Amino acid sequence: MTAVEIHTHKHRWWRSRGVQRFVQHRLAMIGMAMLFLLTLACIIGPYLLPYDELYIDLRARFAPPLSGDHYLGTDPLGRDIAARLLMAGRISLLVGFFAMVLSTAIGTVIGVVAGYYGGKVNSILMRFVDAFLAFPSIFLLLALAAFINPSPVMITIIIAVTSWMEIARIVEAEVKSLRERDFVMAGRMLGLRNSHIMFRELLPNMVGPIIVAATLTVARAILLEAYISFLGYGIQPPLPSWGNMLNGAQQYLATAPWLAIIPGITITIAVTSFNFIGDGLRDALDVRNDPA
Amino acid sequence: MPITNMNRRKALTMLGLTGAAGAIAPNLLVSPAWAARPDTPTGQIVVGVSQEPTVFNPLMPRIEVDDGVQLSVFDGLVRISPDGEFIPALAAEVPTIENGGLSEDGLTWHFKLRDDVTWHDGEPFTAEDVKFTLELIMDPNFRSWRTTGHELVRDIEVVSPTEIKWRMEEPFAPYMSILVETMMVPKHILGHLEDRNEAPFNQAPIGTGAFKWGSRKAGDHVELVANPDYFGEGPFVERLIFKYIPDLTVLYTQFKSGDIDIISNQYITPDNYAEAKTLAGKEVSVVPAPTVESVFLNNEKPQFQDSAVRQAIYAAIDKQTIIDALYYGLPTPSESYLPQQSYYYNPDLPRHEYSPETANKLLDEAGWERGADGIRAKDGVRLSFSNSTTSGNHLREQAQQFIQQSLGEVGIEMTIENKPPAVMWGEYWTQSQFDSVIVGIVFTTGADADVTVRFASDAIPAQGGRGSNTGQYQNPEVDKLLEEAGRIFDQAKRKELYGQVQEIIREDLPLLPLFQYATVRGHKEGLKGIEANINTRIDTWNAAQYYWDQ
Amino acid sequence: MAGFLVKRLWQSIVLLIIVSMIGFGVLHLTPGGPLSQYALTPGMTQETMDRIAEQMGLNRPLPIQYLDWAWRLLQGDWGTSYRDQQPVLTVIGRHLFATLLLMVSSTVISIGLGTWIGIRGATHRYSTFDYTATVGAMIALSIPTFWFGLVGIYVFSLKLGWLPAGNMYTIGDGSLLDYLHHLILPSVVLALVNIAIWSRYMRTATLDVINQDFVKTARAKGVGERRVLMKHVVGNALLPMITLAGMQLPNLLSGALVTETVFTWPGMGRLFLDSLGYNDYPVVMGLLMFSAILVLLGNLIADLVAASIDPRIRLA
Repeated sequence: MTAVEIHTHKHRWWRSRGVQRFVQHRLAMIGMAMLFLLTLACIIGPYLLPYDELYIDLRARFAPPLSGDHYLGTDPLGRDIAARLLMAGRISLLVGFFAMVLSTAIGTVIGVVAGYYGGKVNSILMRFVDAFLAFPSIFLLLALAAFINPSPVMITIIIAVTSWMEIARIVEAEVKSLRERDFVMAGRMLGLRNSHIMFRELLPNMVGPIIVAATLTVARAILLEAYISFLGYGIQPPLPSWGNMLNGAQQYLATAPWLAIIPGITITIAVTSFNFIGDGLRDALDVRNDPA
Repeated sequence: MPITNMNRRKALTMLGLTGAAGAIAPNLLVSPAWAARPDTPTGQIVVGVSQEPTVFNPLMPRIEVDDGVQLSVFDGLVRISPDGEFIPALAAEVPTIENGGLSEDGLTWHFKLRDDVTWHDGEPFTAEDVKFTLELIMDPNFRSWRTTGHELVRDIEVVSPTEIKWRMEEPFAPYMSILVETMMVPKHILGHLEDRNEAPFNQAPIGTGAFKWGSRKAGDHVELVANPDYFGEGPFVERLIFKYIPDLTVLYTQFKSGDIDIISNQYITPDNYAEAKTLAGKEVSVVPAPTVESVFLNNEKPQFQDSAVRQAIYAAIDKQTIIDALYYGLPTPSESYLPQQSYYYNPDLPRHEYSPETANKLLDEAGWERGADGIRAKDGVRLSFSNSTTSGNHLREQAQQFIQQSLGEVGIEMTIENKPPAVMWGEYWTQSQFDSVIVGIVFTTGADADVTVRFASDAIPAQGGRGSNTGQYQNPEVDKLLEEAGRIFDQAKRKELYGQVQEIIREDLPLLPLFQYATVRGHKEGLKGIEANINTRIDTWNAAQYYWDQ
Repeated sequence: MAGFLVKRLWQSIVLLIIVSMIGFGVLHLTPGGPLSQYALTPGMTQETMDRIAEQMGLNRPLPIQYLDWAWRLLQGDWGTSYRDQQPVLTVIGRHLFATLLLMVSSTVISIGLGTWIGIRGATHRYSTFDYTATVGAMIALSIPTFWFGLVGIYVFSLKLGWLPAGNMYTIGDGSLLDYLHHLILPSVVLALVNIAIWSRYMRTATLDVINQDFVKTARAKGVGERRVLMKHVVGNALLPMITLAGMQLPNLLSGALVTETVFTWPGMGRLFLDSLGYNDYPVVMGLLMFSAILVLLGNLIADLVAASIDPRIRLA
């Protein structure tokens, strides 16, 4: 039913029940607000601060938060943490976002193909999905991170390569259930190309679950970036990322705890926002919530 | 008992200065004057190490911590004192040209051995064991650590159980230093085995040293027990335990709490020094290490071809600030690749001066013009290069970023590309795929100043060479000096030649020396016999002499 | 049932082969190698490195190395650690206990707390408790585990001094109490995410049961609320939770790995990172296969439980 609705109500999607439910979802709205503020801060914040995020001043090492112009203190090289945090936000959010785009693309294609063709193609593709799921994802991440130059683009790709499986599974299940529906049959009878049926006819019917999964993937990607950068294999300094700001923070935990606390809270806020939004989307797009 | 300690140290220095240490006693630290030592081995010592000792066959590839255990279990023919003096160990005397042990041309080596040495299982140690050891190293099926020097040995002849001699293919003075690091292994244990790479001996070694193999709990500790039949002085403790504590912070905490008696490799981190030296009941001191930290350049890269560029980069690095601010003032600035305590060190090298102005001037004059992006370029070559090091070394990573900023100010772009150790020191390093690296290296082979494998033109692996000249430095003059110095046995003459090598390398700057390492070492008060030795890789080189003050 | 089992086993074997090939490929194609730890050794030459590589068989073509490895594995030989020169299984075995200890204790915590929170949330639906639990769970899922560990160390070890900052036991102590003392912080940190997952699941499961007719009937019959809940809800929901436990195993393993790095816990995660750092291929491959087998086993058990037990049928 949703499929038809989405198609026919395209011109006034904002009035659909789903959107209304989403707007009324309190957590989702809080998430949207937090994310909006965070993004805004990352975009314009750096221009308002007195310090450049790369400027090293060894005389100002380890300044605690709220000391002078350094609102959030300084790091072991005397760089302004506030400036670094906001610039890091740009990197981390972009990495998270594009990793999501890429992994959603990979997962969707594999899921659609596996679900649509079924049989051997399905078994082979889905065994690959299982195999990737059987690895502790950290292993692949670290091994791959060692493989290439850890530029932000590469880190994005690596994260995507290790987090597409969930979406592939969801999409495959959806396609399987839709495969024998009338409109697919009709498409086949009309002699439409397989790729047309898969991506023009089937795909639009799965936008809901994909969006939900994609939102949660952003959250996951931000956490993964934070972890590999924390270990020192991710985004390389001096380019800040939330993860690499935590790199080395354990060493100074006793003397400069703010080095660990500030980026960690920021990561938690960002990831929580995405999880809230994902939760709201799930409720909003769940067909079972539509009045019969 | 600090006074006793001081006296002993002073006496030692005097012995070293007269250069007579080797002649007086087989063991440098042996003297009946200090009587506080127990008559029988008493008590135990727990040595904390941050890497796990795992290699116990002393001829196989090993790292520093393995040395810590091996030096207590095994002996070489000779050992080396903190002053760089060769001292007989298993040998009865150190062969020299004067005493006839070495032929005038340096080709024949003749060793007289002690006759009172037994292996830990009671078998006597003889010249056959020495022959077996030297041959095993060159056995193509054996996974031996390194063959430099040993590959020149020919016609090994066992004259008697206590006498052995051989011929060298060509004179090679550094061989004595290599023999210091060559521990003897028992023929009667390994001789009849087919596969010595997997021998049980490798996990339960039998040596001649002051301590016998006790037990090992892998991932936790290695326990050695006193060898009552040791031929030298000592040991004075019943048990020597190497406790593996992988985290440096935890290692330090355990030292503070007294759970470990000696904090060994990799010692106390510089940021804890200020606190450590105030600890009650602990003796903490700063000890120079042979490692020299440098910005190591890949000299084949077009960016580094111009001498002006290397000079300018060097001038633009604020060494002193790095040392003072990031390393808490502990290391000493260095102009040479040799440690300043080395006999061969050249103290007259020009002093580095931090000066962005000089850097700018040098580059301007050499025609490196700033482009639109502020980065200099000349003839299509942008003055931009990457710098790598092992990820996880926080102090070094901070120094790296500081240097990056300094270079940026004079129009040089340095990007950072750090890698995990296994990648960093793999082909990326050995095949010279890097632009530049920040690294701490012990350039010498043992205590000798021979740096042929590091700087000779034919030692470049990326160009098919056999050494480890990964910076791809080439200078015919250096080649000639190194070759000459390797062939002669006159120490004074060798010092002069190696002095010249240091001068040329300081001028060429194939690497930009930053500082010589200093480690913060510590042990409990009341633990005596601890002596630093710049010529060894680890602090526990003389554990036979350790004892608890009564 | 037997047919299902055979099919699943066959699939698992195919999966293991794929996993081993991907793992082996990624590992060996990665630049660097096990000899890199000797590259900075004073006096080390390329000649020596080449000779050692030759002796270790590291310069053979990759497919041959793989087949050699796989053939040995089939014969029960997991290889020898490059770093430790001990059999891989011995090396893994030494670290297994620490990881299991951590995983089991954190699972106990997360199931206990998760079940309680979930059921209470469901029975007190839309209460402050329920709402807090829901939001709390989502925040818990958003906290980076390693960072939570750091905060835990900061608060409980550095500021309050109640708990040790790392390691599994104190040198020279090692009593049961000492182990427990060291265990608290890492297992709570590792449990956090799982408490969130379990409580969410338990809440849904309980709601499903509460609304079913037979529960309403039981309640109408006058059977006590608590007894109904305990009997039906827990009975019904716990079995599918085994399924969830099976599915959660890879995440739990990854989580343990992360936690172990922060707390210098001597388990498989630390072993994995160390071995990866040194390119100790046999150990890394061993760990990989070991964890893959564990995960597949978890999935298999989960599927078996799901396939063989349909609680509604039995209860009817």
